Amino acid sequence: MSRKPSSGLPAISSEDMCPVCKTIRYLNKDMEFLINPECYHSMCSNCVNRLFNDGPNQCPYAGCHRTLRRKGFRSAFFGDLSVEREVDIRRRVAAVFNQAEDDFETLRDYNNYLQMVEDLTFDLVSGSDAARRAAEATLQQWEAEHRADIERNRKAGREADEQSRRRLAAEREAARQRRVEALREAEEEKRERARSREAELDSLAKGEVVSAGGPAGGAQQRVQLKRRGQAAVNAAAASAAGTGAAAAAADVGRLSIRGLKEKKAPAPEGPYDPFGGMDFVPSRYKLHDGLSHPAIDKYKADPGHITGGYNFDDYTARALYEAFAGLAVFVEDEKEVGIGLSAGEVATISAGMIAVGDKMELD
Amino acid sequence: MAVTMTLDPIEQLNEDEKRKYIKGKKLGEGTYANVYLGHSRQDPSQLVAIKKIKVQQQYQDGMAPDAVRELKYLRELHHPNIISLLSVFSSKDQNLNLVLEYLPLGDLEMLIRDVDRVRYGAGDIKAWMGMLTRAVWFCHDNFVLHRDIKPNNLLIAADGEVKLADFGLARSFADPGRRMTANVITRWYRPPELLFGARHYGGAADIWSVGMVFAELIIRAPFLAGNTEVEQISLICKHIGTPTEDNWPGVTRLREYTVPSEVVPVWGKEAYMGRFGAVGADGVDLLVRTVALDPKKRITAREMLEHRWWRTDPKPTRKEDLPRKSGGGAEEKMGADLKRRNGILEDEANNSNSRGAKVARKLDFGQGK
Repeated sequence: MSRKPSSGLPAISSEDMCPVCKTIRYLNKDMEFLINPECYHSMCSNCVNRLFNDGPNQCPYAGCHRTLRRKGFRSAFFGDLSVEREVDIRRRVAAVFNQAEDDFETLRDYNNYLQMVEDLTFDLVSGSDAARRAAEATLQQWEAEHRADIERNRKAGREADEQSRRRLAAEREAARQRRVEALREAEEEKRERARSREAELDSLAKGEVVSAGGPAGGAQQRVQLKRRGQAAVNAAAASAAGTGAAAAAADVGRLSIRGLKEKKAPAPEGPYDPFGGMDFVPSRYKLHDGLSHPAIDKYKADPGHITGGYNFDDYTARALYEAFAGLAVFVEDEKEVGIGLSAGEVATISAGMIAVGDKMELD
Repeated sequence: MAVTMTLDPIEQLNEDEKRKYIKGKKLGEGTYANVYLGHSRQDPSQLVAIKKIKVQQQYQDGMAPDAVRELKYLRELHHPNIISLLSVFSSKDQNLNLVLEYLPLGDLEMLIRDVDRVRYGAGDIKAWMGMLTRAVWFCHDNFVLHRDIKPNNLLIAADGEVKLADFGLARSFADPGRRMTANVITRWYRPPELLFGARHYGGAADIWSVGMVFAELIIRAPFLAGNTEVEQISLICKHIGTPTEDNWPGVTRLREYTVPSEVVPVWGKEAYMGRFGAVGADGVDLLVRTVALDPKKRITAREMLEHRWWRTDPKPTRKEDLPRKSGGGAEEKMGADLKRRNGILEDEANNSNSRGAKVARKLDFGQGK
């Protein structure tokens, strides 16, 4: 607007003159202003090249002692650089404080959180020096402490974006399909009408008297109406299905966000335990190798036992196990025995088992 | 309540237990047992398999020994990798009903055989073997011999956990001097000491079967599939080595020791690498130890679990991620697995005239000392 030449000479505003080299747009049509988000002092691209091509340098504005780099310069999106700055700050804060509502237990918590973020943003944008520094510190601390969370939320956000983008695309595609379909139908109808008209003309030419309300014409009209009605029904059904699908898609989208609530990442898998966390080392006695008893000694030399792989240590382990099995077991404390069986039932069953068990030991 | 008044306390208990479950459709029917799908009356979502054991001709005056064994040991053994027995009751015609945990995903054999549709790797084998070995270790540490370990007795739960089932041939470790039958364990998985008729054996017999399952998981076909005992022995001699006095002192004095005249030296680890190398050198090392001819030199279940293979890469697959059979058929498979007689192969069960049909059934009850 200000660039428009008004009466006579072009108005030289800040936008048309580089504050550093004082070049005016009148002399350089392609003049482009760049800013650096360090200090938001704008200057023309020539100045940037001149000053910063050889590495970092101080901002040429009087009183601004920030060191700027060539890489940080970009053209401003907003004409008003204070807006540009605020948007940048907001973007930065939003990237760090990126929790979603679902991350919070209650809506109140979420609102409190939003309030806190907004206060912080305000301090950064237009707070006093001290407030700004404090806000900056808070921001950095939060970023450092919640790096993993932030990354996760960012990913989830991207996924949600992706999903909504896909849903929109699907909707657009469906709409396009509907339009094409409608167009095709209209075309069809038009052709049909022309055909029926021709037929009418033909019959007229043949001398048959058919009035518009006559039986044949009526029938044709009815057919056409019917067809149109059918098409409408079809379209309704299709759209219903479409919205259903859209709703389902939306559901999926929401689900993925709701899933964020579970803050706990799956516990890292420990090393594989081949024993599945069990251990049968007896706690009440110690098992020694090569325990012996006169009753079994004669079998220890028996080739039948040795060759077949009979293990005498298994036998002694079992004998000891059974000797100690009932110790420190108090029936009172073990009312719940077995699977929902009372002690009485167990006794009954085991009595039955003992009865048949003797027979079983024979083979 | 008029009916219940007449029942004695034990019958009342039985009735209560029976009422807890509702029997559903039949999953399988066999000569030995019928298997039904059922669910708990209280919580219809809790599915169970009800194995209804038929009254058998041979054992008219008592319960069938298989059923007794199964009952006896499943009652005692509670482990994530062993099928759990939820309840027992008898139905009106004195049939025994075992209420077992429902395992809907079929068995390991299905996965091994379905070469086209099921693909698995070393991590999956490690996970399965881990679960199997834990189950066997648990049995042995509780002094129970399973005596029928094979892929179709390894059922798969809904969460992918492998569960050792079918304790119809199980027994507790015998006391010294007590003879056990050598006619147990399905032939392809039967260790040489049983093939040679040893009557005093230990947990090492089960370990051989575990080794055979291990080999089968890798090559996706039974490793040593003999049609007769004699052929089984000759296959062992050919692929593992001939048992001699050198590698197995005393073996020649076993009752039914017969080996082919051509003596094959025991193969070293390198010989297995070509065929079983998929599980790595450590896996092959473990396999070779499980198929040691002399049961005294065979690795024990505990030693297996202490082997370094479990700690080397690849890590065992998490049970949720293990490959599973796609499509149906799994339910029927559980029915078929549970109804089958113990210790025999499927085709023999169907063809009772074949020579091997009665092999594993010769359990000499009442004839011992």
